Amino acid sequence: MEPLGESVMRTPHNGAVVQRRSKTRSYRLSYRSCLGTTSRLGPTPALTTRRLNASRRAAKPQNLTERVDPEHLALLVKSEWQLSYVTPLYQFRHTQLKSYSRQLSAFIVAERQQGLAVEVSELQSSYRVSLSVLQGLTESENDPETVLIQIHSKPLFAKQDEPQKSVWSGLLTCIHGSPEYLRSLSKDFTCLPLFGSRGPEYLSRVVKTWFQKTFDCCFGPLEINHTSLQWFVALWVDCHSQSNIQHLRMLWTVPAEPPLQIMYTVDPQDAWDLWNSVRKEEAAKGAEEVGCIELQEVSGYLEALKSHFYRHFRLDLSSGILKQVSTALGSAKDTGRIKMSNSRHVIATLTLLTECALLKMPI
Amino acid sequence: MAETLNLSDSDRSSSSDQSVTNRSNNRSLRIAEKERRKNEAEDSLVRAVKYFSEVEVGTPVHGNDELDRNLEVVEKVAFSKGLSPEAISVLLEFAMSLRMGNGPCVRVLKCLIPASVVPQQAVVRAVVWLNVSKIPISTQVLFIKWVLTVFDLIDAKDQLRAIYGFIFSFITEENLCPYICHLLYLLTRKENVHLYRVRKLLELQSKLGRQPFLMHLLSLYKVFCPELVTLSIPSRIRSGFKNHNSPWKSVLMGVQKRNGLQVSSSISSAFTVKEKSISRKRKHCHLDLPSLSAVLNKEPQSEQTSRRKMVPLVQLSSFAQMLKNMHRIELPAQMGSLLGSSLALQYLDCVQEESALLRLNFWLGCALHEEFLFCSQTSEEALQFLNNLLSVQHFLQEGFSSSDAFLYKFLNVWDGSLLRPQILGLLSNIPVIPSTQIGRLLFEPLTQLFFTSSLFFKCGLMECLNNMLLKWLTWHSVYALEDDLDISLNSHTSINITLSGFKDSVMELVHFVGRLASLGLQLEGCNTLLLSFILDFYETACDTFLKFDLPLVVMPPPGVFYPALLATDPVSVDRLAYIMHRYKLNLTSAKSQEKQTEQAFHISRQTFLEFNHYLVFMVNCLWNCRMFHANTDLHVREELLHKSNVPQPWARFDFIHHPAFTSYAVDFHQKCWPGRKAVDLNSIKQSKPWSWYLEYLFNQGFDGLKDFVHSSITRQVTSGDERGDERGDERGDSQQR
Repeated sequence: MEPLGESVMRTPHNGAVVQRRSKTRSYRLSYRSCLGTTSRLGPTPALTTRRLNASRRAAKPQNLTERVDPEHLALLVKSEWQLSYVTPLYQFRHTQLKSYSRQLSAFIVAERQQGLAVEVSELQSSYRVSLSVLQGLTESENDPETVLIQIHSKPLFAKQDEPQKSVWSGLLTCIHGSPEYLRSLSKDFTCLPLFGSRGPEYLSRVVKTWFQKTFDCCFGPLEINHTSLQWFVALWVDCHSQSNIQHLRMLWTVPAEPPLQIMYTVDPQDAWDLWNSVRKEEAAKGAEEVGCIELQEVSGYLEALKSHFYRHFRLDLSSGILKQVSTALGSAKDTGRIKMSNSRHVIATLTLLTECALLKMPI
Repeated sequence: MAETLNLSDSDRSSSSDQSVTNRSNNRSLRIAEKERRKNEAEDSLVRAVKYFSEVEVGTPVHGNDELDRNLEVVEKVAFSKGLSPEAISVLLEFAMSLRMGNGPCVRVLKCLIPASVVPQQAVVRAVVWLNVSKIPISTQVLFIKWVLTVFDLIDAKDQLRAIYGFIFSFITEENLCPYICHLLYLLTRKENVHLYRVRKLLELQSKLGRQPFLMHLLSLYKVFCPELVTLSIPSRIRSGFKNHNSPWKSVLMGVQKRNGLQVSSSISSAFTVKEKSISRKRKHCHLDLPSLSAVLNKEPQSEQTSRRKMVPLVQLSSFAQMLKNMHRIELPAQMGSLLGSSLALQYLDCVQEESALLRLNFWLGCALHEEFLFCSQTSEEALQFLNNLLSVQHFLQEGFSSSDAFLYKFLNVWDGSLLRPQILGLLSNIPVIPSTQIGRLLFEPLTQLFFTSSLFFKCGLMECLNNMLLKWLTWHSVYALEDDLDISLNSHTSINITLSGFKDSVMELVHFVGRLASLGLQLEGCNTLLLSFILDFYETACDTFLKFDLPLVVMPPPGVFYPALLATDPVSVDRLAYIMHRYKLNLTSAKSQEKQTEQAFHISRQTFLEFNHYLVFMVNCLWNCRMFHANTDLHVREELLHKSNVPQPWARFDFIHHPAFTSYAVDFHQKCWPGRKAVDLNSIKQSKPWSWYLEYLFNQGFDGLKDFVHSSITRQVTSGDERGDERGDERGDSQQR
């Protein structure tokens, strides 16, 4: 509006002007964030609401044994992970894992013996930490490599020559992460939104704290909600033709007085037959992509299971909440615990969980 | 850098200290008698000091009257006035050289109370003596304690720092160790921290266990070199070294007070370890602000070029230091920590790096989501956290995008009472929302909350929306000039909001408040408090053009205008008059500017029509006693008016009969005609009393009415005693009559 004033304000050598320019930037930043058009800040969730995918590929059994170190794979499966989400890690480098291991082990020792300082470079005898890349797990080019954290330690009253045992392990991963989200982050950030831990709670706490201090990230609990559990039901039942699910077991809670918990177990063949009939029905309704499972199919399947239950027990589950699902392929609990029993379905499980974790991102 | 800065600081302070001493000494020379006695005392002190400088090794102590006498003189002066720097040098040299053994040494040390400063040279020499002569350990401890006590009075510290390694070597002496650690703590600079020293300290630690003094020194090392040492301090541990020096300190303070010096309070209080260990409580763990700490893993490529020069924020302790290092400040490891330090906040204001702001937003967003969205709570920590966030946003005059995103979600689950002041405060900081989104994000949840909440919430929300509007308009008035928001789209692409986009959003907001206000007033029976908050909002809204340079004027809806005009309290009417007056000024100046510059914008014709309509009604009602004139919003049938049995219903809301002003009219009537028994308010309507009455009203502080009458009513006092013909005077598009 005032050409004179403007030329003065754009003079780069004036200190006061620099200040004003910086303000402008943040002004735009706030505009941008609300318009959601920026490339770097990513879509603001409030404006472009991210939702769980309504359609996902059926879990193709993948033989990971060829791609992934069997030792690592053995770590992934068989036992239960407690899940958290993590905001993107700042200045995380996959090439620095060795030095991270040293720092983390020193940090753990320092935290364990409150008030005793610990030298960082020294090799710790009481705790040995190793951070390593779990190669071969990534699915798309945007996914950063998965990082495996293992903590070995000697039991308190161990003999001198007893070897250190693995006491805690952790997993940072991103499988099929939303490409828009991943690309929207600058190079300074590494997005590994899904964090799984296994072992004593205090070690989980210490490891999380170290990550927070070192990579300026935040952790929060990742619950597996009703919808996601339903997806697990469908994904696992869908695999029955390739690997026997043995059983489909669901834990429901019904808001009654006193609260009612219902364990609902379905014969694997029945579950599979029912699933097939729902699939056919939905397929007849509309032509959909082959090999994809739609949300309608999942909810249709659950409806069928509920009505079956109603017919037998006169109890309507539709007001209930699904709390746990388990089959021979794995189990999932709403508290954020997941167990993957079969390595062939690891990818599908982690993909769904990555999606849940990304939904929890504050920005 | 830090060294030079420190040096110059202490130099300045020491010289000023001396001048202050001189002055105060002069002042204290009061009486000649005292002067004489003092001179005598000084003479004897000079003699005593001379004795101590010249006394030879091996002079017997026992039965040495001269020594006793001189010691007494020194003690007397020391405890009353303190000793000069020269005397301190001489006495310290005498004591530490053990020329007469340990006894006099201890006695001398105990009375080394400086009057002004302690020469650094003397301290350095004394430290050297520690190693040379065979001083008993207890005396060595005494000496170090003395150094700690007078540390802030030592005139410079560069030479002491130069012998850092020498001082460090005493750390192995078990009894000295706590005090040496404290001294080292006061002296340590980044360049003093080396791996071999860290190892030495760790070795000691393994020998002595977790001692607070080792811990404090190591934690300082950690601040300077986090890559060498790590440590977590238990929350129970008390911060600071133990006060090793109480006997001297009290004497020193007494002496300095007598000398009129500012007692340096910083002795042994410089230490604050804020760092907390991981909190045991699982709850609220997101609400702890992280502590400021330096980055551990630096980028390898930047290491060669700039690492040496960067200064971590945690190492800066004053604003002056920050200004000096402004160009090379290194951001902390956790951006959230900036919110906890007022100094860091100053820096945050000029942080340019987008990834840094993103880190901050990730942290803040995560904390808000975890603590308030996923589990709502009203703990003390939550309150403190939000208050802190509010004051930060207030300081930066800007909200964080993560808190905006949080609010958009939170509004949908909010009950309107949880942490109300804080949430409304945050809400008023949100930036302009595009008009296509504003309804879904803001208006829908707020409408629900507004109509289901108490009067206080309604008032609070009105205040919040007023602040929001004010901030949006202020942003506009500051940045529109700078960035030309309205220039064509191709220059800044789609990133910027356009002027018309901004106008749309503001218009949406004002209309929204209009809707809320109309219905709110109905629901609450035109509550005066609510009306007052609503009028606050319109005081902002009526000045958009003149105050904020935004070519947009939105009139209040009838649901606000009429309740305000017919309110029973004079303040509301007065404020409405003020608002109408400002609307008029805005509209007229917008119109004239439009004519002059022929710019593309123009205020909608509808706005002028609405304004004229209101104005005519207001003038008719307050002034012309023609309230139920045709063409107004108020249609009351003749028969109904007749039925009400109100005499002259059209005049019931003029300045005299308006319920808000009747009491003033009666009061005026009594003052004007004190003798009259019967009150006839209509007699005020005579021309002269009418002007007096107006004058009387204006003197009651009704400035809004005054402005309104002056600007909107032209009085033609030409036709004798008949009141002039008045009319609402406006230059709008339409004519009123």
